[in-house]
Amino acid sequence: MKDKLSKLQKEFEKGLKNVSELLHLEELEQEYFGRKAGKLTLLGKEMKDVSKDMKKEIGQLMNDVRTSIVGAVDAKRSELQREAMSKIAETERIDVTQPQLPKKERGHIHPMMQGLQDMIDVALSMGFLVEDGPELESQHYVFDALNFAPDHPAREGMDTFYIEGKPELCMRAHVSNMQVRLMKKYNEGGTKAVRAAYPGRVFRNEALDATHEHTFYQFEALVVDKTISIANLTAVMKEFVSGLYKRDVPIRFRPGHFPFTEPSFELDIKADIGRGEEWLEMAGCGLIHPNVLREAGYDPDEWQGLAFGMGLNRLVMVKHGIEDIRHFQSGDLRFLKQF
Amino acid sequence: MLVSQNWIEQFTTIPNDITPEKLGEDLTLHVVEVEDVIDEAKFLDKIFVGRVASVQKHPNADKLNICTVEFGEAHPAQVVCGGSNVTEGMLCAFGALGAKVRWHGEGDLIELKKAKIRDAESYGMICASDEIGLGEMFPKGDEKGILDLSDMNLEVGKPLAEALGLEDVVFDIDNKSMTHRPDLWGQYGMAREVAAMYGQALKKYEPPKIGKKNGNWKLEIDAQDKEACPRYMGLVVEGIEVGESPEWLKKRLMAVGVQSINNVVDVTNYVMLELGQPMHAFDASQIAKGKEQVAITVRKAEAGEQFVSLDDKEFVLTTEDLVIATDDRVIALAGVKGSNNSGVTDETTTIVLESANFDAVTVRRTSMRHGLRTDASTRFEKALDPHTAELAMRRAVELLKQVCPNATLSSTLCDQAEFSLDQGPIELDTDFVRRKMGVDLPTKDMQRILESLGFGVKAKKQVLHVTVPTWRATKDVAIKEDLVEEIARMYGYDNIESVLPAFPITPPVRNPLRELETSLRQLFAYEAGYTEVSNYSFVSPELIEKTGSSIESHIKLSNPVAKDRPYLRRNLVEGMLQNVESNLHRFDVVRLFEIGKVFRNDKKGEEDGIGGQLAKQDTLIALAYAAKGDENPFAEVSTRFAEVMDRLGAAVVYKKAATPHDFVHPGRTADVYIGDMQVGHVAEVHPMVREALGVDARSAMLEVNLNLLLDHVSDESSYNPLPQYPSVERDIAFLVDTTVQHDDIAAFLIESDVLTTNVELFDVFQGEGVPEGKKSVGYRITYRSDEKTLEGGEVDAVHEKIIENLTKKFDATVRT
Repeated sequence: MKDKLSKLQKEFEKGLKNVSELLHLEELEQEYFGRKAGKLTLLGKEMKDVSKDMKKEIGQLMNDVRTSIVGAVDAKRSELQREAMSKIAETERIDVTQPQLPKKERGHIHPMMQGLQDMIDVALSMGFLVEDGPELESQHYVFDALNFAPDHPAREGMDTFYIEGKPELCMRAHVSNMQVRLMKKYNEGGTKAVRAAYPGRVFRNEALDATHEHTFYQFEALVVDKTISIANLTAVMKEFVSGLYKRDVPIRFRPGHFPFTEPSFELDIKADIGRGEEWLEMAGCGLIHPNVLREAGYDPDEWQGLAFGMGLNRLVMVKHGIEDIRHFQSGDLRFLKQF
Repeated sequence: MLVSQNWIEQFTTIPNDITPEKLGEDLTLHVVEVEDVIDEAKFLDKIFVGRVASVQKHPNADKLNICTVEFGEAHPAQVVCGGSNVTEGMLCAFGALGAKVRWHGEGDLIELKKAKIRDAESYGMICASDEIGLGEMFPKGDEKGILDLSDMNLEVGKPLAEALGLEDVVFDIDNKSMTHRPDLWGQYGMAREVAAMYGQALKKYEPPKIGKKNGNWKLEIDAQDKEACPRYMGLVVEGIEVGESPEWLKKRLMAVGVQSINNVVDVTNYVMLELGQPMHAFDASQIAKGKEQVAITVRKAEAGEQFVSLDDKEFVLTTEDLVIATDDRVIALAGVKGSNNSGVTDETTTIVLESANFDAVTVRRTSMRHGLRTDASTRFEKALDPHTAELAMRRAVELLKQVCPNATLSSTLCDQAEFSLDQGPIELDTDFVRRKMGVDLPTKDMQRILESLGFGVKAKKQVLHVTVPTWRATKDVAIKEDLVEEIARMYGYDNIESVLPAFPITPPVRNPLRELETSLRQLFAYEAGYTEVSNYSFVSPELIEKTGSSIESHIKLSNPVAKDRPYLRRNLVEGMLQNVESNLHRFDVVRLFEIGKVFRNDKKGEEDGIGGQLAKQDTLIALAYAAKGDENPFAEVSTRFAEVMDRLGAAVVYKKAATPHDFVHPGRTADVYIGDMQVGHVAEVHPMVREALGVDARSAMLEVNLNLLLDHVSDESSYNPLPQYPSVERDIAFLVDTTVQHDDIAAFLIESDVLTTNVELFDVFQGEGVPEGKKSVGYRITYRSDEKTLEGGEVDAVHEKIIENLTKKFDATVRT
């Protein structure tokens, strides 16, 4: 029996050496461990014929042989598996640079709307309600209610589009038409504070060229409360600008002039748009003129406000390096697909 | 406008530690925007007045000469010169070694070094005007010409900057930043601000009073329109000798970019540049009525009246134009320009000086109407102080006597004036100023700032009674907020510490329309693969006609920028069809969307603030799709839209359009419904319309009104617990007439039994093997019970029943 076992082990080891594929290994395993005709299985059946005193020794030996063979098979199996896996680098190779076909085209949001959305997101995070209104508007909301004198140059037909047969109407020349509209809508007869932003499309009677459009976009916002100061205005502007650019941007205020704010300021930001750091005009702002507050139903002795506004086109052009303002309204996919 | 530092310093002191750059920055921060600071002498270091001592042809180059130039050193320098006009003995601008020049007036500054040019040594350069930044002062006659200074009687060897008197610094001010400040349109006004900024004294502007007349001229002025001409001053001056202006005068004008013309015109320009008050000089002999007699009328022009300007341009006037006229003709367009029949010439010996005040709006409209913008009109349209007219007249007389020593006043000073200014006083509560600024500024600082700007201040307890100076009272300063601005800007906005306002932390009122727009943008661009376009709100009559709409229904602009696009759009799809057309030339597949407002007169929109209502301006979304080879683009558009709506919690139904528009394919059009509400249309574009617009692929468009859609979207998703029992699927394929609609079949199937929980169309086929007028359709029906696991037999029974009913209902033939 001992001899049989050691012979069997040798025979197995010899057989194992010749195994080079997983399939052969499985055959070999079957040859020894097969339930019916496995060589080791058959030897195991002979155990019943072993004498009682030898049983323990032979049993031990048989176990050792079994363990050794099982271990060898397992080792060989992992070796063969490793070997096989090492080959899939070759056998299952793909071209990692090849895109999936057919190509799936994604769509694109207009760069101007992306720019507007950035501003809206900052405004919302600062607690401003955001609302747009009529583009075809009465002169009342575009000019009269905003303290524009009846003969103010901005009212001339060379600047503002008017409607045939309805001289009291125009295409709004700025989104400031929303100032009095929104204050009236949300201030409950001049008794409530309002924080509102109003982005939108505006129109000026300009001949088209690479830097002039008659249709463009503006973003404006206002705050009315019982105590609003220049110190508040500069703070709000700083927050807004750093919110928009997601970092602290140096800003400065200098005197400006708008009929609907007093005092009025221009806001510059320091930026590098390829010519070194410089001050760039970004926004107009100021404290809301008492006449405008009055139009909205506020008592200007009790309520104050701040407002700021900016044109979008130039900011978006600077951001992306767009060279011609006419691209925005061109509907040209070669342009739009880049954003 | 250009401002000269030397000129400013005539009226105030600029502290020594203030560099030109700092002054420019301070002006920007406190007064007006300075766009550029130009140091005249900056480019002229190591550049001297040279004398060309000798000129010899360069042996190795046709177009070059070897010259020697004397420039104050012991030995003249040898230089190679390519100047076409170089001659022996000429005075030139000589750049010695180390000078910085711009070759041919272009590129960066280059430092001159010893050089060998075609084997000849060169120790410097004879410069052209544009090479040393003097191109504007000395325009080049010839491209290859060097600057010839021979006529100027300059001392050889003197630094050129000194010789030419170019030691000024000039500030270029953005005119747009001072449209509200009539007082800043002269050097003196700017000096006042500089003095206030640095706490320096401002020299009083006090030219001598107009003296007694010493002549016999009689001047009559009839200013008829007091509103358009609140003040008109006239004075006859004899003994004029028209000639060249003295150097100091020419230099001042040159520094601020004004060409010298002759001594008389230069004086009127000088006064305008200094005070901001335009003046005019007429040749008395040309406008005289009789001997030593002039009668001037200031009146509105007659309709169609002719005016020929100084530069011989003809204008036809309207009754809105204000003119200066004699009995028989117009001699000036008031506040804008003089005529060619009354101006000062070389022969002029007697002049009528005009210093007047004209209404800002009248001048601006005349200037715009006739396309005539002048230095004078630019100033008058800012609303000048009528008091300045008198100062200007006095200053002009003072200067005239300097440039024409024989000048004598020959008439009395005529002054027709009728104006009043509201100078206040404005009561200014100092606490109000502190509150508005957010700064605890002492009262005495407020007072100091206001007084430095010329305001009169009387303090009564904590209230300042502030008198507005005349030069700020025309329209600029009227209320206490204006005074806050004066104090705050001089205090310095950068000195105000920012303080965030105390806001309640309540979230803002939501805006469902804007939120919907944002969601639609995201979904159509990033899920459905559509690209957003933005089209003009203005459309052309041709486009409206081509797309079969009526022009009458459109709102029209009275002054369109492009004469060909005068109408306001009523829809988005017309514009987008043009986008499809242009993009199909470059792309095989075009998927576009737009969100925008349209304008409809026939419906009432928001209130207009004056008792009426505006035209309705709803926000629409439109989709456009075309792909070469896709014969049914309708399905792409309708399906993508339904998918996006599904994401937004709204179930879309397409119903065959009742009355198709001319624009659309009559067999391929539907109304878009959500529930019972029609929210828009979807259609393939009519082949004729496509042809008219040159679109060479079948195109489908969808347009939906977001204001209507708004009520039907929600961000709630309805969740059903997972089913307890398994479902069974059965497929069914059959032939029906092509007129039978999918929606009807699907509705029939889903409603046919309680066990049918889902119906899905998986195949539609027409063509080979399917009879004409029929289509083959395949549906997958899902059966499930909420109470038990279904047995095969149960399902078969229900399925058989459904097939039977289907056959009857739709005249269907089941395929096996």
